Amino acid sequence: MRDFVSFFVNGKQVNVSGAAVFKPLTEYLREDMRLVGTKVVCAEGDCGACTIFEGRLDSSQNKIDYKPINACIKYVMQMDGCHVVTVEGVSFEEPLNAVQKAMVDGHGAQCGFCTPGFIMAMSGLCEKALSCKTKIDSQSSKEALTGNLCRCTGYESIISSTCAINTAEYKPVATLYPDKNIVPELKKISGQQVEIKTNKYHTFLPTTVEELASVKEQNKGLRIISGGTDLGVVMNKMEWVPEITACTANLSDARSIIEKDNKLIIGPNVTLAQVEDYLKDKCPEFSKLFELFGSPQIRYAGTLVGNIANASPIADTPPFLFVMDAELELANKSKRRMVPITKFYKGYKDLDLNQDEVIAAVHLPLPAKDETVRLYKVSRRIHLDISSFTAAFRLKINQGKIEQAAVALGGVGPVVIRATEVEKFLTGAPLTRDTFKKAGEIAAANIKPISDVRGSLDFRLRLSENIFQKLFFDLGKKEVCR
Amino acid sequence: MSIIGKNIPHDAAHTHVRGESVYIDDMPHAQGELLVGILGSPYAHGRIKKLDLSKAQNIPGVVCLLTCKDLHHNVFGPITQDEILLVEEVSQFLGEPIVVIGAETREAIKQAKEAIVLDMEELEPILTINQAIAKKSFIDKVYKINRGDVDAAFKTADHTLDGVLVIGGAEHFYFESQACIAYPGENNELVVHSSTQNPSEVQHTIAHLLGLKQSEVVVITKRMGGGFGGKECQATHPAVMACMVALKTKRAARLIFNKDDDMKHTGKRHPFQNRYKVAFDNNGVITAVKFDLYADGGAYNDLSTAVIGRAITHSDNAYFLENAQLTGTICRTNLPPNTAFRGFGGPQGIITIENVMEEIAQYLGLDALLVRQRNLYGTGDTRNTTPYGQVISNNNLPAIFEQLSASCDYQNRKKAIDKFNAESETHVKGLALTGVKFGISFTNTMLNQANALVNVYLDGSVQVSTGATEMGQGVNTNMRMLACDEFGIPVEHVRVMATSTEKNNNTSATAASSATDLNGAATVDACRKIKENIAKAVQISMENISFEDSKVYDKQNPSNSRSFIEAVAATYRSRTSLGERGFYATKGIHFDWSKGHGEPFLYFTMGAAVSEVLIDRFTGTMTVERFDMLMDIGKSINPGINKGQMAGAFMQGIGWMTNEELRYSDKGALLNHSPTTYKIPNINDIPAIFNINTTDFYNTPNIRGTKAVGEPPLVLGISVYAAIKNALSYLTGSENVIAPLSIPATPEEILMRMECHYEKANNGKCTAGALRFNEFHDIQLPEIIYKNLRPVSSSVAAARSKNDLSGKTREKAKAILDV
Repeated sequence: MRDFVSFFVNGKQVNVSGAAVFKPLTEYLREDMRLVGTKVVCAEGDCGACTIFEGRLDSSQNKIDYKPINACIKYVMQMDGCHVVTVEGVSFEEPLNAVQKAMVDGHGAQCGFCTPGFIMAMSGLCEKALSCKTKIDSQSSKEALTGNLCRCTGYESIISSTCAINTAEYKPVATLYPDKNIVPELKKISGQQVEIKTNKYHTFLPTTVEELASVKEQNKGLRIISGGTDLGVVMNKMEWVPEITACTANLSDARSIIEKDNKLIIGPNVTLAQVEDYLKDKCPEFSKLFELFGSPQIRYAGTLVGNIANASPIADTPPFLFVMDAELELANKSKRRMVPITKFYKGYKDLDLNQDEVIAAVHLPLPAKDETVRLYKVSRRIHLDISSFTAAFRLKINQGKIEQAAVALGGVGPVVIRATEVEKFLTGAPLTRDTFKKAGEIAAANIKPISDVRGSLDFRLRLSENIFQKLFFDLGKKEVCR
Repeated sequence: MSIIGKNIPHDAAHTHVRGESVYIDDMPHAQGELLVGILGSPYAHGRIKKLDLSKAQNIPGVVCLLTCKDLHHNVFGPITQDEILLVEEVSQFLGEPIVVIGAETREAIKQAKEAIVLDMEELEPILTINQAIAKKSFIDKVYKINRGDVDAAFKTADHTLDGVLVIGGAEHFYFESQACIAYPGENNELVVHSSTQNPSEVQHTIAHLLGLKQSEVVVITKRMGGGFGGKECQATHPAVMACMVALKTKRAARLIFNKDDDMKHTGKRHPFQNRYKVAFDNNGVITAVKFDLYADGGAYNDLSTAVIGRAITHSDNAYFLENAQLTGTICRTNLPPNTAFRGFGGPQGIITIENVMEEIAQYLGLDALLVRQRNLYGTGDTRNTTPYGQVISNNNLPAIFEQLSASCDYQNRKKAIDKFNAESETHVKGLALTGVKFGISFTNTMLNQANALVNVYLDGSVQVSTGATEMGQGVNTNMRMLACDEFGIPVEHVRVMATSTEKNNNTSATAASSATDLNGAATVDACRKIKENIAKAVQISMENISFEDSKVYDKQNPSNSRSFIEAVAATYRSRTSLGERGFYATKGIHFDWSKGHGEPFLYFTMGAAVSEVLIDRFTGTMTVERFDMLMDIGKSINPGINKGQMAGAFMQGIGWMTNEELRYSDKGALLNHSPTTYKIPNINDIPAIFNINTTDFYNTPNIRGTKAVGEPPLVLGISVYAAIKNALSYLTGSENVIAPLSIPATPEEILMRMECHYEKANNGKCTAGALRFNEFHDIQLPEIIYKNLRPVSSSVAAARSKNDLSGKTREKAKAILDV
């Protein structure tokens, strides 16, 4: 049992124990290590000024995979077994590296406060472009930089700078920090159980799901930190760190997606980015939804299981999981049970999950060939915004008639719901605009949304009604997902 | 070869991209340095009944707890002195500071806040413009500009238009929140590093409130992580509070706002509710306007009186108003004092008339571009004077409109949109061209002055210091290039130094788009004085001396040449000064508010833009498909930097027009105080086609033929609003009906407006944008009320015609618009 957190920062190993383990990573980097190039603006993973690389062993365990993430919502305890690379860590080439040169020449920086974060996210795009052998264009630039806000430039010069990066001159992180120096150490670290206790806080890093369940069973009030993209925000904004936590970072075999009988079994550490990637061809509609789900930084850090366990009525994945009749595999230290996701949420943030249980996997059936899936997310800003309203549809249509219909709505009540009245109405109904108009009216009549900063009650009612007509027009198209 | 017009990088670009640029909170902590925290009022309006600090004082790590009693003065203000720093008895906005905490750790600050006993009685706050008008809660006087006989023009008008335009505020969202570190020195001296656009104001306020001489306070600004007006006046508050702690404890003190606190407790762009009444003829030509602008000033004046002045002087925008009655009133509410924000009221004035242009077009069934062109200021001797009496010389507006509408293929795209809208069952499109004519100079004539200090060292390198502050806009790069050009030396040899009140005294804020105009001219003046000294030393007359390619030579006799360094050495040997102060004051400008008359601006920056938008009929989601901008900004010192200003300003404009909505609780608490809920534009929000161009008119009286560029392009975000309004006009379901639209036009606002039109077509009840068709000043603005949220007003408008004043049109309007 180790009683400290161990990771690398810009090629050097650091061991952290005591109170510093419970600090946000940005605070540790800026104040304890004086690496002040990483900036904090929003402290909630929304602006990207704190973007760094998190390098973790890939599935082969022989290579480190570097992904841009938001450092402001990571806590030091979550960093065990990884290699953190900051803007200082890519800046030792004099005078400028390929990304920096493009930004300087392209007037991509004005006040400069967001710039280090942009440099890191742009570097992330270069890593991806080199490994996938794709070219950087304006579309891929926008996708890669969705998670980085800039108030000065209007982005125009940043996009042209990104497109102008000479990728042939870009030096991947793995060449700046050769794997052979770091991989053996990370392997050692990640196989070890960790428990750290101060007079105020207590955290565990178990290596198996069973250990995690048993730690949870023994410690009432324990909070599990998976990607931490939501909990990190709560911790920053409430200035509150839960007294007892467990991080999933070191769980073994938790990062895999297994496909069996047209069904996916998704492990607890599988990130949203992995799901997005895996489903690109198998369920393009769901994969596409991720373009509107947070930012690359969030999707590289956040997990599907975390999105489910966080139990927000406006989470982006549950409506899809609801219409697909996904099931959750729950584990305690000795046995496992299955729960349909539609039964998992009993009330606002109230789960069918026992004190001794954790979510071990998501079982996700893929849509059949003759089924149409349509997903909608309405938010104030199209990209990187939390939904005002979400809807998911899975329909089987045959000869101008709806044979089967599954409909889920989010943002219209304390939990995501299956709109059973509408499903009943749609089943057997003809494929006409009138059908969908009536379906919308039924949907709106059966929900009681609230007014908040993301939208008024009237707006949400209107959306619930209108979305059915939008669906009608979208049925003919390939995929839409808006 | 002159460097002017070259695209050299921003002078801090290299350190920005390497993460090496230093902002306030990046400075190392000094030994014994304290962190400063604030306990603010829990109520938007409340009276302190009990304040007990004794428990908090004993918390380990808490070093001092200070209140208004620890201040020498508590009252201050940049224009009128109506503001207090720390609450004495009654708080005027939520979070208004009461206790300043100096402590060794964040944890100690947190514990101190919990241990302070503060008992307050909640008083009824004023939270909206409507409430302030009802209670006659105003700041300062009503500002007025009058020309012609408005009443007579209304009596004879073919048509009239009445409405209220509701314009939301906006958060600056500078990335670096308000920040300050104060270092105490000997004999009460303070050295203050502040993220401010106005070091002199910070210096002055610290001295005034703490009872120091201004000469005892040095304020230094290396750079800001963005300002946008938000640090013109409101960097002073954190600076004074940090200085209180530093002075009291003799320890360095650091006060850094986090984003949430910054958004909750600092001022914003002023929300406006503008009442308008317009008379126009059958061609859509305006014959008279009555505009009554109401701004939400917040709790204290701050810069509101200047903001309202710019709003009224810009409510003509590009259009000639023969008869005009313009008033501006500032409402005092229990919200943080609203302040400067890029455009400074100008955009809120301009959108009023741009909205009118759309509504006239909708009512008469004309194309809005045609209506605008018919109303443009003239280029000859007629229709060329603003309502406040300034003649518009060098009017490039008609040419800009013509050139832009041709280059963006306006007419054909309009036709294509007509067709699209007739056919599409799922989407609706809109197109609009709007203009900008932005007056350059501070409207307060006094502020149009600047000084510069230029030092030439013996190795030929040069330092430039001015009162201009660098917030990303590139003013340092501009001044660096001007100095390079004057001395004919490479850019690496000139360094623009941190702004400091020790080097440049009594400076104006870096604001009003004029930092380069003023400080650049002062820099050139200082350079010229040094050149005169050098000329004397090398014995060449000023007429004949040339500084070029690092050489100083006689134009008449080029062989009489030496390197710049040799010339500098000769000057030093001759014991002549190689450091000079330059000074500049804008000539020929004046304004008298008691008459509402004068020539406040040296010149106008002009431009226009066309936006095409696509709206989802089912969700209200809007995307800008294409945007074309054409600006007359004269010659550019650095075109790359100016393009960055144009793109950045426009995107701020589009944010204000569309997604940036400030929502408050019914207790006056800002509910969306972070980017999760307050949505500034994202990289994906930039128009799919984004064309930014400049004209080649070079007719400005300004330094090096340049024109100010910082603020004017923000106004062109209004083209997106106008295009949405244009799209809605396709859905009104009947002729002569105007489609009102509030700002920001969020997906919710757009969807509810569309639904309103659908309902009207079905003879249903209209829930949004309804107008009781009464006389102008009796308009009751409908407020949308939701539980626990502050009511939100909604724009309304309707028009009527002379021939039909009491007849059909009026009845029709009544039927359509009555709730």
